[in-house]
Amino acid sequence: MSITLAPKRRGSGLGLAMPAILLLLAFFVVPVALLLLRSVTEPEPGLHNYRTLIGSATYAKVFFNTFFVAGVVTLVTVLVAFPVAWALAIMPQRWASVIFAVILLSMWTNLLARTYAWMVLLQQTGLINRSLMALGIIDQPLQLTNNLIGVTIGMVYIMLPFMILPLLGVIRKIDPAILQAAALCGASKGQALFRVLLPLAAPGIASGGLMVFVMSLGYFVTPALLGGTANMMLAEMIAQQVQSLVNWGMGGAAAFILLIVTLGLYAVQLRFFEPKPEVR
Amino acid sequence: MTTPYLHINGIRKVFGEVVATDHVELSIAEGEFMTFLGPSGSGKSTTLYILAGFQDPSAGDITIRGKSILSTPSHKRNIGMVFQRYTLFPHLSVGENVAFPLRVRRMGKSEVDARVKRALKLVRLEGFEDRMPAKMSGGQQQRVALARALVYDPPVLLMDEPLSALDKKLREEIQFEIRRIHQETGVTILYVTHDQEEALRLSDRIAIFNKGKIEQVGTGPELYANPATHFVADFIGDSAFLAGELASVSGERAALRFADGTTVAAVPLHGSGRAGQAAELMLRPERIELATEPGPEGASLPVTVEDMTFLGNNTTLAARTPWGAALSVRLNFGHPLAANVARGDRLHIRWSPEAAHAFVRG
Repeated sequence: MSITLAPKRRGSGLGLAMPAILLLLAFFVVPVALLLLRSVTEPEPGLHNYRTLIGSATYAKVFFNTFFVAGVVTLVTVLVAFPVAWALAIMPQRWASVIFAVILLSMWTNLLARTYAWMVLLQQTGLINRSLMALGIIDQPLQLTNNLIGVTIGMVYIMLPFMILPLLGVIRKIDPAILQAAALCGASKGQALFRVLLPLAAPGIASGGLMVFVMSLGYFVTPALLGGTANMMLAEMIAQQVQSLVNWGMGGAAAFILLIVTLGLYAVQLRFFEPKPEVR
Repeated sequence: MTTPYLHINGIRKVFGEVVATDHVELSIAEGEFMTFLGPSGSGKSTTLYILAGFQDPSAGDITIRGKSILSTPSHKRNIGMVFQRYTLFPHLSVGENVAFPLRVRRMGKSEVDARVKRALKLVRLEGFEDRMPAKMSGGQQQRVALARALVYDPPVLLMDEPLSALDKKLREEIQFEIRRIHQETGVTILYVTHDQEEALRLSDRIAIFNKGKIEQVGTGPELYANPATHFVADFIGDSAFLAGELASVSGERAALRFADGTTVAAVPLHGSGRAGQAAELMLRPERIELATEPGPEGASLPVTVEDMTFLGNNTTLAARTPWGAALSVRLNFGHPLAANVARGDRLHIRWSPEAAHAFVRG
């Protein structure tokens, strides 16, 4: 049975993937192509949409905001997620599953609800400012919303699960005896971290980091609600161009630049971190 | 007495309510090959982990040259270790794995290169510097681990069942290498295993662990010829145990009486005992002689042959004592009785009085 099944199975792979491929073609590839087309044809044929985007200081600020926030969010997320993933990997399984469930639960809660919750927590009269003032740590409420600080806090929180999951995957595969070996070889905790643990966790950091960075680049809800109008990010700008100004050309050009950057980053990640097929 | 080189002084380790090791006391000479032998859960690995600094003892002390090492963290103990599992750093080449202890010690490049080369030569893996660990066999990986553990010239090397993941042939090959390396480097080795053959082959001395305690310490021949307890006698070598009771005790000798009243006289007795206590007679099969007549001085027992199995270099007889205890006796190939013995034959087993041991039960 298995002898006749095996070659057949290999051949039918494409057939099984067909529904997904068709779906992607119809609702992703084609619309993106149309958008790209509009970016070089509207309002008139040419690359002027791209020239405007790259040339003007206003749009440069939007690009800077976007990449800066995405970069900071990715960095902070890695720094917060790594110890969490490490703790989950070494703690007793029962506790780990409880904490893991809490992390997933937050992921399944409505995004808008979570972002509004942060607004309530972070605003001038919010819980955080009032607690800090009650404790006498600050005299004046801190400005935590309507700026990039609020955006960063809100986005790090939302991105955490996407970082913890791939990190947990790689950390769980690290044999604790390897760290004991490093210690007996004379490595201090810091040396063991930088020379052994981080290099071994690098593929997880890279794939989690890429996911977080790319998602952050195109994020809309959190920057819109916590960032205020002065600190526009790219997704907000695209929405503004398309919805308010009905300028499909500019919106398309911005979206296309974002797509190119994302694909470029993905190519870099594939090149350096994806495990190569085993050679035996 | 001079201070021993390495002294394990009353180490006790308790996990919750489980006592993993209890008052482990051992002195090890510089350059000695000491093996901790025992079944799993006997406390041998716990003792090694305390030496490595992975666990803190609940009580007791460990000293090297009279100085306690317990307050020194693992990475400053300057001890080498080879683990049961393969613990090479998978992201580093063989050369970088071996160089790792030197790099964290910030040693100069030329010195690192020279030492890595020397260490790889010691384990016969010259020229493998650029190989990745995943591309090597288990035996090669353990040799790299050995080179990594020795490259910084630690005075003490710990080995935690390093060969248990390898097949038998490879195990013997690397045992031979370990012996050679021990002789070449003169490093003090503490070796944990549950394999008695491995322990006998490698060690200067063996400490037999059982239930968190050391039952006996000695060279292989000492432990084999003079087991202090029933456990040691059972763990090292094959032996036959015949249950009976002490008929009389005089000094370090005892007479044993068995269920049907048969007695055996003048058996060396281990531990103290009184007449009437349950006891066991222990005999090594290769020291039992089969004869048609009983031996002198009561060092013999009548047996009935039940079955014979020819095994090439010997014929193994299944025999039964008059009170029904089973016993196996080996006849070397060419023994005059081997060709003539038949089922149901009534013969005698004899031994030299020194070759038997009596252990009080309980």
